[in-house]
Formats: sequence, C-alpha cells, structure tokens
Amino acid sequence: MQRPASIEKPMDLKQIKSLVQLMIENDLSRIELREGDTHILLRRGHPGTGNPAAAPPVVAPAAPVAATLPPAEQPAARYIRSPMVGTFYAAADPESKPFVGVGDEVEPDTVVCLVEAMKVFNEIKAEISGRITKVLVQNAQAVEYDQPLFEVAPA
Amino acid sequence: MFKRILVANRGEIALRIIRACRDMGIEAVAVYSRADRDAAYLNLAHDAICIGPEPAQLSYLNAAAIISAAEVADVQAIHPGYGFLAENPTFAQMCRDCRIEFIGPSAEAMRMLGNKVEARRLARRVKVPPVPGSPGPVANEDEAVAVAEKIGFPVMIKAAAGGGGRGMRPAHNEATLRTSFRNARAEAEAAFKDGSLYIEKLIERPRHVEVQILADQHGNTVHLWERDCSTQRRHQKLIEESPSPQISARTRAKLCAAAVRLARAAQYYSAGTCEFLVDEDEDFYFLEVNTRIQVEHPVTELVTGIDLVQWQIRIAAGERLKLKQDDVRQNGVAIECRINAESPDDGFRPCPGRIEQYLPPGGPGVRVDTHVYGGYVVSPHYDSLLAKLLVHRGTRAEAVSSMRRALSEFVVQPVKTTIPLHLALMEHSDFVKGNVDTGFVERVMTAGIRGPAPTQAGPQPSKSPGAN
Repeated sequence: MQRPASIEKPMDLKQIKSLVQLMIENDLSRIELREGDTHILLRRGHPGTGNPAAAPPVVAPAAPVAATLPPAEQPAARYIRSPMVGTFYAAADPESKPFVGVGDEVEPDTVVCLVEAMKVFNEIKAEISGRITKVLVQNAQAVEYDQPLFEVAPA
Repeated sequence: MFKRILVANRGEIALRIIRACRDMGIEAVAVYSRADRDAAYLNLAHDAICIGPEPAQLSYLNAAAIISAAEVADVQAIHPGYGFLAENPTFAQMCRDCRIEFIGPSAEAMRMLGNKVEARRLARRVKVPPVPGSPGPVANEDEAVAVAEKIGFPVMIKAAAGGGGRGMRPAHNEATLRTSFRNARAEAEAAFKDGSLYIEKLIERPRHVEVQILADQHGNTVHLWERDCSTQRRHQKLIEESPSPQISARTRAKLCAAAVRLARAAQYYSAGTCEFLVDEDEDFYFLEVNTRIQVEHPVTELVTGIDLVQWQIRIAAGERLKLKQDDVRQNGVAIECRINAESPDDGFRPCPGRIEQYLPPGGPGVRVDTHVYGGYVVSPHYDSLLAKLLVHRGTRAEAVSSMRRALSEFVVQPVKTTIPLHLALMEHSDFVKGNVDTGFVERVMTAGIRGPAPTQAGPQPSKSPGAN
C-alpha cells in the first residue's frame, strides 16, 4: 500500500486481446509494439510455414515487462481479492491450521481466510473454483479493498 | 499534535488536507475508491489505501471501510473534508468511540445544528431570527392567509416535502395566495405524495451572505468575516467573494456578531459557517449552519491570511486559538470561481472524460485549488468540481480584472467546463457593480447570455482521441 515513487505502467491485456484480433482479421503473422518500457511481440502460425491460420497466436512479452507485471492487473477470475479493508488472518485462530494452502482445491463457497475490520472477523469465500497456486499475503498483514490474496489456477 | 491523519475524502479537498498535513509535518493517509486509484494527488500522501469500488455508497460513504482503514493505518485522527461523511454525527461519534479524533465539531453540536427545527429554535433564542413563517404546515387556505397577513406579503408557499427549490410558489396578495394555495396543494400531492404546505416570508432579491467561524475546545470563538455567495444557480454556488460588496459596515458587524452568538450558544468548536439571507433593506435572516469546512474556504484564507484547515487540525488536537478577534482583518478582495466539468449550454449536464490539455492560470494574486492535470480522467461517479480559481487583489475592480485575465488563460480541453459562463458573469454589469442577488444567474441565463467564444491565450488543442 506504500505509494511507489513512480507509478509502474501495467501490461494492458485488453490491448493484447485487440492486437490478437487485429492479427486474425487481417491475417497477420507478426506484430511488434514498443511504447516506453513496454515491448510486446506477437507471433501467429508456425515459424517458417508462412501459413498464419495453422496455429493460435503466441504471446511473447519481453522479459523486463513480464518480471514487473503486478498481479492486480491479471484477469480477476485468477485471483481471490479482498472485498474489504482490514487485517488478513490465514486461520480461524492462532492455534488452528490455515484455511487453505498452496495446492488446495477451492469451490466458490470455500472459506479461504478471515479479514478483520473494526473487531469483526469476516469469513472470506473463494467465489471461484480452482486450485490455490500462491498465497500472496502474510498472516496479520493489513490489506486493502481489491488486494489480491490468493492466486488460483481456474478449474 | 497528531502524528498521522486519515483523509476521508477525495479530489481537491483531499489534496488540500494532505497539503495542510505536509505543512505541519503530519503523515497523511489517503483513502480512495477503485475509480480514483490513478489519481496523482495520492502520491503526495504518505500512504494510500483502497477502500472500495467506484460507487460512493461503497467507498467514500462507507463508514466501516474508512474506520477500518484508519485502524489498519494506525492514525490518530480523521479529517472528513466536505460532503460525504463530513456532517454525519453517527460517523463522528463512531470515530471517537474507536478512539480516533474526528476533525470537526462535537457530534452533539453537529446533530443539533443539522436539525432544521432545532437550529431555528436556537437562532431565535440568540436573537438571530430565521425567515418569518408559519411554525409548521398550514391546515387550509384561511390559515395561510392569516399567516401571510401577520408576516406581511409577499409570501412563498412551500411544500413541506419539497426542497432545493422544488415545490415553491410566490404570492403577492390574498387573491393570488388563495389560487396558488389550491394549485400548490395538488402539485405537492402529485409530486411528493404529501400535500402539506407552509408559508414563509418571500425575501425578494435576497443576497446569500455567510460568516466563517473558528472556535477552539477552550471556549474561544472568533469570526473571520463574511463571504457573499449570491451568484448561484439552483442553490449551487458558482462564485463567492469577500468582503460582500453589498452590505454596509454596520450590517457586516451585526451579521458577524450574530454568527458568534450562535456558535457560542451551540458550544461549537472547529471551523463552521453561519448562512444568512439579507434583503434589500439589509435586514437579515438565519438560514442554517454548516458544521464543516466549506468548498469556498480559500476566499476567507486569502482575505484574512489564516490557514483554516491547519487550524481545524490544531483545534482537534486540543490547541488554543492564538487569534484575537481584533487581529482578524479583511485585507483586499478575494473572488472564487468554481470550475465544473459541466456544459452550461446543455442544462449544466456533467461532462466526464479525459482532460487532454490543461493549462492553469497563474501570476499575481492567483490561486488554483485543484486535483486535476493533463491526462486526468474525470469520472462520472462523483461531483463535477474540477478546480477552484481564486484571485486576491487590493480592490474589487482589480480582483474582477484579474479574474477575467485568469479565466481567459485557463485551458481545459476537450472536457466542457463552466469557464465561459464565469467569463460572461465576470463581464456582466450587475456583477461588476457588485449588485447581485440569488436570482441573478437564472435571469442572465434566461436572457440568453452565453459565454463569449473562448479566446484562449494558450495554443490550439491538437486533435484529441476519445473526446466526448
């Protein structure tokens, strides 16, 4: 939540999707886009075959951009985000095991954590089905609205 | 003194509070909704916390989210700004119950002054009578006439369920009163499902004059003189100035003394404003008290040289007012124009969108309070205030002249703004003479005065994609 000295520009998936569409509509095999620190290269079709319709397009972002991709900019379905401001707790109480961990399967109604606000402990549900691939916050950490808590591989 | 304050607001007033904190060496924690997440002013805060989605109800009006953010950020106080939760006594009490100071008056004073009936009762007690009228709804035509004859024609018939200018009809004599009464009743039934009407004295060509109050928690109360806010449209202020060009020194003194009496009687502390209507005979009537810092507070800051937001913070921290009434002087004249993202030509329709070109005015005597800049996206979720343009000069003639200069320097493209309207008002002979009542803007607009074609001093805007 600490404000960065400069705001990093996130990769724009809407932009990539519309570039892919552009390639399909115009039967293009390659698009390369540079804008400031962002470099996007899209290739479509098998290299060397010259037949663009043969394979689905491949997205190959330049390495520096991929490394700085903030998780918040990924499609919402792949993250469980906090619906409120408060303090994140991984387990029901200090003695219990965490509600979920990496590798666990979740359903929409699965309780994945607690967020405490004004002394009220709120059970947070997954809202999606899938498998937990990352736990993004620590126990007793302050979280804000929309902050990604868990990364989920969709079912 | 507080180490850390949470700013429970957005836009220009959030930035104003952040600046006061930075001036005082206090850490400011900003909160924002998802709609405001890219706002540059957030970077001036020590920390910023996202509290909810775009709708104000779920973010800036979400008391639980704000207090949760305050606890998580470990602040000692919350500044509510204006609007949103600023005049919500429940919120003020919640803060204090959570051992977080609320930068404003006591919940009790807020509740009392926020209640129209209680506030008017208090005003009468300290000899600051409100607009004369029937104590409550009148049962029938005959009662309406009796009240009108007692307080004197002309009168205004008002729907009890109306407000903000709706459901009001004037009557200049008994015959009109009787006819209008019947019509008004039918209208009110249809529009508000409540036909109750009450009668109030009609103040013709009223001026809206308000007095700024500052009081500490040790019983010291001072006024910081008045602001004339008569240039308004549908009860929304467009232009404010201090001193008022249309009251005598005697009336000024009486108005300010009345405001102080009122504040003391309510045991008010922090910053607040007493609003009055002044008629052509310079008799004045109590309207209401605003228990918060106001949009137009910089007008008073410029004329008195006193930083109102800093004083709000000091007062909340328990400090004593160092100001003596005799020390508070009005120096020169200050005028403020509220620049909104609205189209006056189109019924003041709000015009959200991206600001491609932004060139603010500057130079001697010019102050611009704003959160916007080139590239800022005006969101449709909140009010349309873009910037407050102020000038402060030695005389009113110089202030009007500098305001004209500043308005014509101000470039905001392609979003439509009220800048052309302000230019037209600033050139209107009534405004220049300082002879303006609350009906002035409506009359000017009905007569069809539009803004002059903007002869912007800045470069021509380039073709802008995404212009709306």
